[in-house]
Amino acid sequence: MTQKKYDAIIIGAGIIGNSIAYELALKGYKTLSIDKLGGSGFGSTAGSCAIIRLYYSSPEGVALAREGYYYWLDWPKYLKTIDPAGMAYYKNTGAMVYKSEHNKNLAPVMESLDALGVGYLELTPEEMKQYLPNPDLRSFHPQKRMDDPDFGKPTGKSINGAVYVPESGYVSDPKLSTHNVEIAARNVGSDFMFNTQVVDILKKEGRAAGVALKDGTIIEAPVVVNVAGPHSYIINRMAGVEDKMNIKTRALRVEVAHVPSPAGVDWENTGIITSDSDTGVYTRPEVGNHVLIGSEEPACDPLDYVDPDDYNKNFTDQLKTQAMRVAMRIPDLPIPNKDQGLVDLYDVSDDWYPIYDKSDLPGFYLAIGTSGNQYKNAPPVGSFMSELIQYCESGNDHDKTPLQYRMKYINRTLNIGFFSRNREINQDSSFSVIG
Amino acid sequence: MQIYICVKHVPDSAAHITILDKNRIDESISFLLNPYDEHAVTEAAKIKNNTPDSEVIAVCLGKNDAEKTIRSALAMGADRGILITCDKNYDSMVTALALKAAIEQDGTPGLIFTGKESIDAEGMQTMFRIGAVFDFPVATNVVKLDIEVDKAVVDCELSGGITNTYEMSLPCVLGAGKGLNTPRYPTFPDVVKSKKKPVQKIVFTDLNIKDSPAGMRIVELEPLHQARQPKEIKGDAGFVAKEIIRILKQEAKVL
Ligand SMILES: Cc1cc2nc3c(=O)[nH]c(=O)nc-3n(C[C@H](O)[C@H](O)[C@H](O)COP(=O)(O)OP(=O)(O)OC[C@H]3O[C@@H](n4cnc5c(N)ncnc54)[C@H](O)[C@@H]3O)c2cc1C
Repeated sequence: MTQKKYDAIIIGAGIIGNSIAYELALKGYKTLSIDKLGGSGFGSTAGSCAIIRLYYSSPEGVALAREGYYYWLDWPKYLKTIDPAGMAYYKNTGAMVYKSEHNKNLAPVMESLDALGVGYLELTPEEMKQYLPNPDLRSFHPQKRMDDPDFGKPTGKSINGAVYVPESGYVSDPKLSTHNVEIAARNVGSDFMFNTQVVDILKKEGRAAGVALKDGTIIEAPVVVNVAGPHSYIINRMAGVEDKMNIKTRALRVEVAHVPSPAGVDWENTGIITSDSDTGVYTRPEVGNHVLIGSEEPACDPLDYVDPDDYNKNFTDQLKTQAMRVAMRIPDLPIPNKDQGLVDLYDVSDDWYPIYDKSDLPGFYLAIGTSGNQYKNAPPVGSFMSELIQYCESGNDHDKTPLQYRMKYINRTLNIGFFSRNREINQDSSFSVIG
Repeated sequence: MQIYICVKHVPDSAAHITILDKNRIDESISFLLNPYDEHAVTEAAKIKNNTPDSEVIAVCLGKNDAEKTIRSALAMGADRGILITCDKNYDSMVTALALKAAIEQDGTPGLIFTGKESIDAEGMQTMFRIGAVFDFPVATNVVKLDIEVDKAVVDCELSGGITNTYEMSLPCVLGAGKGLNTPRYPTFPDVVKSKKKPVQKIVFTDLNIKDSPAGMRIVELEPLHQARQPKEIKGDAGFVAKEIIRILKQEAKVL
């Protein structure tokens, strides 16, 4: 069988994979994206809350998120296309992040925001009330499980206040946004194969040389990129690179709850994003006048690392626990008996920071360990991963002299070595979805 | 007046349900208060608020875990609960006898509510069997209810959307339908209060329920695979839109 010749194969057609394909294609690479599911964004991207927020524990995290934010504002212009299936869009809501000892009362975040010139308001508990329907602003920290008799009992008179960042929001439809990128990439020559599983990474003369598919087909290319989301560690094992990485990735099972807004409150149109480190949950307004609730992994909650091909897709007590943690804060929030929401996977790295890097196998690249918080960064990640591939393929040693990437919107340099597979575990991390 | 609501602890119908040994389901999924019973609890709480000296008691026959369902009913407005604990599932005849025994031990029912059906077995029989063992009148799929001095005036929805109005003597048994009210879901303070409300536990065997002469048992459970029957609507966008509206109105009857 004669095949098209590809310059790069991208394993995974999620938001990150497609962004890399698009950016590589813009640089003239002939790319092939392969996904075992039926379409773009059908993997963990489909379950994403798609929140675009700026608070991260590291200055690099804040800067990258700010850079990403501008791409979402510019979406159709960036993709230079209109997808007939519709275009995803960014909806600005503002985000309120609660201060706590846990996040050093947000001092590092405010410092990063100041450095970038991003506007924000520091709110006292009293001032927070204008953003929330009838809240209870006592402290409930540390969090407990629902069966603990002290669950929901206040532990302090007041939380410490919050930081409100007006330029924050979410993308209307993460799956559609990934399809948008597919269309943009196809326009510049990328190919896509769906319902196709990669089962091995080919090697030739000490380099990656392509992939083997489940049906036995072999596709050759000098560059292979692992963007397999929660399956990333499986692909790394195929390539034989996992043992050589200091930071590893695993699939974490998570639940997201949907509950109706309090009666009389139009949360869908007037609600904000909240990140409450005191109760350990984050929220986002959801269509149908619902509140969508994710966990910030408080210490009492066990982390459920699973086999990404065989895990419990039913709700557990975790879902209600998360809903109840918001209900502590918003006493009028109704909690239906029937659980609603979703179960999905994060690809979590040892320090909850992503790995954007080369690997010990020349030609084999990594964009993994996205730890539940990298949707927003996908476009700039696509951009610097394509530069990284060019940089390494033209003979540079990224491990010794890491690529310095220019973020075009915020006009700053990002040291891509920050995302190295061989870094020490970053102790500044929140070790949670916050990153 | 004592208002009893018979509530059932049922598997979440949205869960991935696995059948074991061809006759039971894997119960390691979430269970919850039967959705129709939510309407019963909401209605009972409403009547209680308008009727001095009344009390709402949630009664459930179920395994130990069913206490959760009683707590849900308490969070939605019931005052206390009675859990008849058992270690297997019983048919509607035994269930009715057990509920009657527990209710009689406890007090004097002025009204008994159930949901119009349970979403797991969908037997739609328990309310009639309760009526039979108590010798009380029964109405089901109740969508409107007025309690007067010595009677209940109820609207029941029959198939095809027809509604009949009945006057019933009290006490009576009512199977709550969806149209009866919008369930008032509990808030955090409701849940906290519900934890302090009493739940009495009775062991099923202590009720000495005699075997009924007839009974029902599950011989075999099989998952229902419903094939989709897609139909393509051809034509221009205007026609397609009109056709969809017509189908939603006339065939699906949702508009
Ligand atoms: C519940 C949830 C909420 C989140 N909320 C947010 C948020 O609010 N904000 C934010 O910024 N981020 C959020 N994230 C994180 C963000 O969604 C992810 O970081 C991002 O979507 C990851 O994209 P991806 O392309 O790397 O992975 P995926 O979308 O998982 O794509 C990987 C693809 O690889 C394919 N694949 C795997 N193995 C193989 C194989 N062997 N052969 C072929 N194909 C294969 C899979 O089928 C899959 O489609 C959330 C994630 C989840 C799960």
